[in-house]
Amino acid sequence: MNAQELSKPALLEMRKVGKDYRGVAALKDIDFDLRLGEVHAILGENGAGKSTLVKILSGAVAPTRGEIRVEGQPVQIASPALARRYGIAMVYQETSLVPTMSVAQNLYLGDEKFFNRLRGAYIEAQQFLQSLNFPVDPTAIVQSLGTAKRQMVEIARAVRLKAKVIIFDEPTATLTPEEKHHLFALIDRLRKSEVSIIFISHALEEALDISDRITVLRDGAHIITGDARTFSRETIIRHMVGRSLSDELYGRATDGRKLRRAGETVLSVQNLSMQNVVRNTSFTIFAGQVTGVFGLVGSGRTETARIIAGVVKRDFFHGGDVRFQGKSVRYRTPREAVGDGIVYVTDDRKGDGFFETMSIAENIYLGQISGRNSRGFVASMSETRALAANWTNKLAIKALDGDSRVIELSGGNQQKVVIAKALVQKPKLIIFDEPTRGVDVGAIAEIHHLIATLADEGLAVIVISSYLPEILSVSDRILVSRQGRIVEELSPDEATSEAVMFAAVY
Amino acid sequence: MIPFRKAMDRWLGRGEASITTPPMDGAFRPNDRLDAAGAILETPAPDGLAITSQGLIVSSGRSLLRVDKGTSTPVASFDAEITALTGLPDGGAAVGLNDGRIIFVGGQYDGRTIAANARASCITALAPAMDGALILANGSATNGPAEWRRDLMEKNASGSVWRLEPSSGLATQLAGKLAYPNGLIEEGAAIVVSQSWRAALTRIAPGDGGRGVAVLENLPAYPGRLSRGADNVTWLALFAPRSQLVEFVLSEDRYRRRMISEIEADHWVAPCLRAGRSPLEPTQQGGVRQLGVLKPWSPNRSYGLVARLDGAYRPTMSLHSRANGRRHGVTSCLSFGGRLYFCAKGDGIVASCADEGSTP
Repeated sequence: MNAQELSKPALLEMRKVGKDYRGVAALKDIDFDLRLGEVHAILGENGAGKSTLVKILSGAVAPTRGEIRVEGQPVQIASPALARRYGIAMVYQETSLVPTMSVAQNLYLGDEKFFNRLRGAYIEAQQFLQSLNFPVDPTAIVQSLGTAKRQMVEIARAVRLKAKVIIFDEPTATLTPEEKHHLFALIDRLRKSEVSIIFISHALEEALDISDRITVLRDGAHIITGDARTFSRETIIRHMVGRSLSDELYGRATDGRKLRRAGETVLSVQNLSMQNVVRNTSFTIFAGQVTGVFGLVGSGRTETARIIAGVVKRDFFHGGDVRFQGKSVRYRTPREAVGDGIVYVTDDRKGDGFFETMSIAENIYLGQISGRNSRGFVASMSETRALAANWTNKLAIKALDGDSRVIELSGGNQQKVVIAKALVQKPKLIIFDEPTRGVDVGAIAEIHHLIATLADEGLAVIVISSYLPEILSVSDRILVSRQGRIVEELSPDEATSEAVMFAAVY
Repeated sequence: MIPFRKAMDRWLGRGEASITTPPMDGAFRPNDRLDAAGAILETPAPDGLAITSQGLIVSSGRSLLRVDKGTSTPVASFDAEITALTGLPDGGAAVGLNDGRIIFVGGQYDGRTIAANARASCITALAPAMDGALILANGSATNGPAEWRRDLMEKNASGSVWRLEPSSGLATQLAGKLAYPNGLIEEGAAIVVSQSWRAALTRIAPGDGGRGVAVLENLPAYPGRLSRGADNVTWLALFAPRSQLVEFVLSEDRYRRRMISEIEADHWVAPCLRAGRSPLEPTQQGGVRQLGVLKPWSPNRSYGLVARLDGAYRPTMSLHSRANGRRHGVTSCLSFGGRLYFCAKGDGIVASCADEGSTP
């Protein structure tokens, strides 16, 4: 960075900004500044606090403490509308456009006049898009556009609102190389017109290429900020994963425990494809072993698991092959997968894991009757209660009784109900997707113990997690997913944080 | 319904018509162990290995060579290419030739020749039976051992396994309709056969009508010779990799027929023991470096792979020579005296490494 750039004034400053969720610090007194016309990359693992930081800046979340200054003036960004007024706009990974409206309508959304002349709006939008060199038809309906063009509309909207700061959250995750090239050219143009950019990405190469400065966050804390040219891929990874607290909590996989040896091949996934999310991925899962799957968000881990479990379908043409116990399978519904012995413990337990208004007993019983050999709609109250008592006891679910509603339980106990609902189906293969997300520390240890017990009993277990220490502590074998495919396999004794992260991002 | 479903699957490329190959992970996780092994002999096209009273012998072209401390001594030579070799309990060896003859070298039948059997003239593997008989794998009813690629591309399953009495030369067929049987190992009264084109090992037991039961399926490469190691371990040589490209060509009948009739076999889109020697090859075997490891940017047509199987024929570990390796086309392997010997026929090398046992 030259002297001229260093002397540029800070457009945006955060001083000792923190955010607590129920007493737990998601962001720990962060100092951050953004200079006029710079591209500033914020990097970190999942859960490092990047999203919380930009949500505070965009007004989606209020900070618990600290001060924010825009152009030297202290401000309270209480809402996204206020953020826009201060010239801060956010371009989300999943765009926030209205898909059924045209490009022009989206551009002027929230800024409509009393009488709107559609033709005039189209002409104005056309001129505006052309001035940005965006080849987008203003009359096109947004849902008919590709990801890159949608992102162009979103950026155009930010520029039209005279944004001084544009925050890009994982802008390249779904873009083709050609589209990325266009996006980077645009960011360069914005930089030259003195718009400041905050750029969040898991792709370190991109961050190194495009940014002027880089800030690394870890476990909610600020680790380092510096000139992008002083960083390399290796130093960034070291800053991203060099945790100590987490290692103390989880330990290493090989510390004091014997790794389980692979049993029979239970699942063989061969050249599986689903659009551009799962890309020709192949791997094998063995009985009596915990296979950890690590990958950053968007690496296709969850989608692959959902295809295996029949929640979503692979590509209709040449979507690859899934062989469960040597037999080629293609499930149309999860019920068929459950019938064969595959269960999936979802990462979104509130959305897909349980019925929150139902009791623990009813939820577990629903798991029981979802198998193919169930008696369908006939529910036995005594069986329901016995089942709930059995599993509440077995998994140490802390509740007054089986009739307690699941919504009243803590996150850890809710997760145990979801797991009980899965185990009651007597699976041969169980897939845990982010099994300890939003779960307290005590329940984390219990869930990890349960996972180990299941593998010891001979089940094939897959644990998907974006939290590296968890993967290192529970797995007998680690698969690393990147850009829709498994790219590396490591044994826990050779899997250092750096090696796994290197495979996940490089 | 089933024919309709099969037709739909074929059209959509799914189910049994999926053009997929098994992953090389778990016990098949790639490494460079074959390349790290020390070469003990460089000779043109080493193919088979056997232990005899003279020690370790290797077949190379028309010759049998004794391997000892980095040197080789000719043991015998023949008027046809050697296509199969096995050591016998009496310290001798049995040699299968390209024309279908079997010749004994050393041991009680030294010098004896059994004439070619018209129904079993593609001898790909030999193994001694406990009762003194010889088990013989006949790869194909229509192609010779040198034409293995043609047999694959014709999608044949015309191989057979025979039992041969060395004293009388009497041959009895044990099983037929096998997809290129290429390795044999005796297991009590039963025989385990590697079927290359089915990428599987099959157990053929007396009384099952020669149908056989799969003991290991869905291998990521074409299995070849088998040998027994210590502690009921079985070593399996896999001589060429399977790839989606070749599976695709196998599913395209018209393309395949034209390729077979119009193009020289060396330049087919087909597996081979060593790729990258001719600029006329359909896919050039180059590589890109990823995670510090050179990986192919085009489908591999050759590879080096040896697998260690446990008593239940489950793979427990493997040794590899990857795209950039120099130990491709491993046709046989043998554990002897605490070392594992293997023939990388594609690269003309016999090498050995410590038999370290299973690595999970």
